[in-house]
Amino acid sequence: MAKADVVAMILAGGQGARLGVLTKRIAKPAVPFGSRYRIIDFPLSNCVNSGIEIVGVLSQYQPLALNTYVGNGHPWDLDRNNAGAYILPPYQRAGESSWYKGTANAIFQNKDFIDDCNPEYVVVLSGDHIYKMDYSAMLKSHIEKGADATVAVYEVPWEEAPRFGILNTEGDDAIVEFEEKPKQPKSNLASMGVYIFTWSTLRDALIRDEADPESSNDFGKNIIPMLLNDGKKLFAYRFSGYWKDVGTISSLWETNMDILDKPEDINLVDRSWKIFSRNPVKPSQFIGTEGKVTNSALTDGCRIYGDVKHSVLSESVVVEKGAVVKDCVLLPGVVVKEGAHIERCIVDFGTIIGKDVKAGPSIEGEGPYTNHKICSEGICVFERSLKIKDGAVIPANSMIDSDIEVSDEENVIESTFRV
Amino acid sequence: MFNNVMGLILADNKKISLGELSGPRALSAIPFGGRYRIIDFMLSNMVNSGVKNVGVLTYNKYKSLMDHLGTGAAWSLDRKNDGLHILPPYVNSEATNINGDEELAGVLDFLRTSRATYIIVAASNVVLNTTFDDMIRSHENSGADLTVMYNRDATKYGSPSYILDVDDDGFVKDMLYNPQKSSSNKCSLGIICLRRDMLVDIISKQMSHGLTHFGIHSMVKMFDEIKVHAYEYKGTALRINSVQGYFNSSMSLLDESVRNDLFWSGKPIYTKVKDEAPTLYFDNADVSDSIISDGCRIYGNVENSIIFRSVTISKNTTLKNCVVMQDVHISENCHLENVILDKNSFVRPGVRLVGHHDYPVVIGKGAGI
Repeated sequence: MAKADVVAMILAGGQGARLGVLTKRIAKPAVPFGSRYRIIDFPLSNCVNSGIEIVGVLSQYQPLALNTYVGNGHPWDLDRNNAGAYILPPYQRAGESSWYKGTANAIFQNKDFIDDCNPEYVVVLSGDHIYKMDYSAMLKSHIEKGADATVAVYEVPWEEAPRFGILNTEGDDAIVEFEEKPKQPKSNLASMGVYIFTWSTLRDALIRDEADPESSNDFGKNIIPMLLNDGKKLFAYRFSGYWKDVGTISSLWETNMDILDKPEDINLVDRSWKIFSRNPVKPSQFIGTEGKVTNSALTDGCRIYGDVKHSVLSESVVVEKGAVVKDCVLLPGVVVKEGAHIERCIVDFGTIIGKDVKAGPSIEGEGPYTNHKICSEGICVFERSLKIKDGAVIPANSMIDSDIEVSDEENVIESTFRV
Repeated sequence: MFNNVMGLILADNKKISLGELSGPRALSAIPFGGRYRIIDFMLSNMVNSGVKNVGVLTYNKYKSLMDHLGTGAAWSLDRKNDGLHILPPYVNSEATNINGDEELAGVLDFLRTSRATYIIVAASNVVLNTTFDDMIRSHENSGADLTVMYNRDATKYGSPSYILDVDDDGFVKDMLYNPQKSSSNKCSLGIICLRRDMLVDIISKQMSHGLTHFGIHSMVKMFDEIKVHAYEYKGTALRINSVQGYFNSSMSLLDESVRNDLFWSGKPIYTKVKDEAPTLYFDNADVSDSIISDGCRIYGNVENSIIFRSVTISKNTTLKNCVVMQDVHISENCHLENVILDKNSFVRPGVRLVGHHDYPVVIGKGAGI
């Protein structure tokens, strides 16, 4: 591998358990987002647009879909001769082997990969945020300030600060303290999970962190405090563009809706900072005679014969005649049959919503699928590859999961199949 | 699926003009069907048949074609062995005249370096979705020297048409060019297959007679010398021989059976990827019976139309029976009917423009009205 100034490592191994059935079969970064993207398209495209050509993708949980999706990196121009996208799963070594124990351990286990690239700087990214960011501007600030580490921060409303990892700073944004979810925050600068490290400093810290059996091997919890204790120079880098975490069902839903309600915020049509994605090779959308589409985002292969309002549809979604889809996020290949009426639903890959099915916040009550831990704000989530029974009535906050045992009469799943 | 068949696509046709649409580009590079160029169909047909070595023969205006094809990666034709070969006219040692018009000499080199047994040669004025397995099998079984593909619904699609007169055994006994009155409805689709070595022989012979132009039907016309078999194609095939033919073919995509046959048969049509954003339909968007591509922003009314990528249709604007190519901006309060707008054109507010369905108005590439 050629020497590079900077290498990016995307932490894409997490399960994303708060997304419920959506991450049953695939890792969170591979979850479709915004009609034609996957979540990981955002950090990958940011890397390429920032001029970073070596990108390690650390995968662990359900890696098949993610590995297939990233593939040889071609859709992001990451199929270079001496650079590109590298899938980095945990692997067996002589004598020992282990899964990635934490974010810092995942990088530690790949230090040989980074050493081979021999970079000055390493950018560490998480694979679960929707944002457009120029990492090269952040690197410039890192170099100018002579920093050992730079952490991107986002000013959140004070009342929300207790939900985030908060960085307390002084003077010219020098970091003095990191607090994970502080009850009484001293600052409203939330860590975005975007770090730039000088590799020699990080390498040393990772080795020491690994030697500490008490450590949870986490960047926020362990590495940043260690560097602060050592008196290293850490700076916050303020980012003020659009940035959203899509770690929960409600935030995933809201962030999808932002594309419709505030299209200028994420500005996907900006040709100077395109978000690249793997193309599904499908024909253009078709809207039929009785089809009606308003306030919605659609992509290739969609065929609409019914009424679609305020919804985000991925490729090859079919909405049949007389069906109503409102405030929904439909992932690739979903079919909504005649007469169905669904609102605030997130429907995973290929699931068929049967005729006259009703689902959404207007349907009161609770059923065996009600799940207040995963679902909120009335949003229903459907697992992939299901056929939902014709006429099924599904109340708000349901998570339709084929692993839930229910009586025949309460069961809304007619069958499951593989897409 | 083949590994002994190569392909050759004739990217342009000197006999066919689509006015302003073919002005800046080769015939096969004309945008079609929302997100494709005409050549995408034939290239995909070849790739879907397992053909891994495809030549694209051009003679001029090949810039937009080359932009589109690139390395052939979109069709999985960026290969070490074989792959995509763009064959512009060039002068080599075998050229007999030096006017840059030596198609045959260029083709000959391409043919000689391949090890394929058969070659499929296809014109680029026809849109269909098929594989060539059945045609090759029929060619082998018939014992013919050359097999030509035809279909039967051709009469309404205009000039140039080559009508085949076929005997009871399926061999061609006559071919008529644009006949006034015809005894047959078997119209050539401009797709032939034959042995590669036979094509090398034919071309060498043509060159020694001083010919320079490569023509599919000049080979079909050799039915007196070689055995030419006719193979009927029964699926949807759209001919694009004129602006009218282009318009009719485009509009026929709004028919569900045509769309299913061309796009949803399980054989994908590949094209260059653009990474546009999803299309946004706003509050008052009213779209029906239309094909819409990615990256559009729709505020107005669209009826019975084909909209390509990254088109803006503003508020209080109505489009009816229109074909709107990539990156066109249509301002507010416009009314367009039976109009073809080429790439990058711009329609200012309040424009009213109505063509006839038999004679659509064409707005050229980059024009502002």
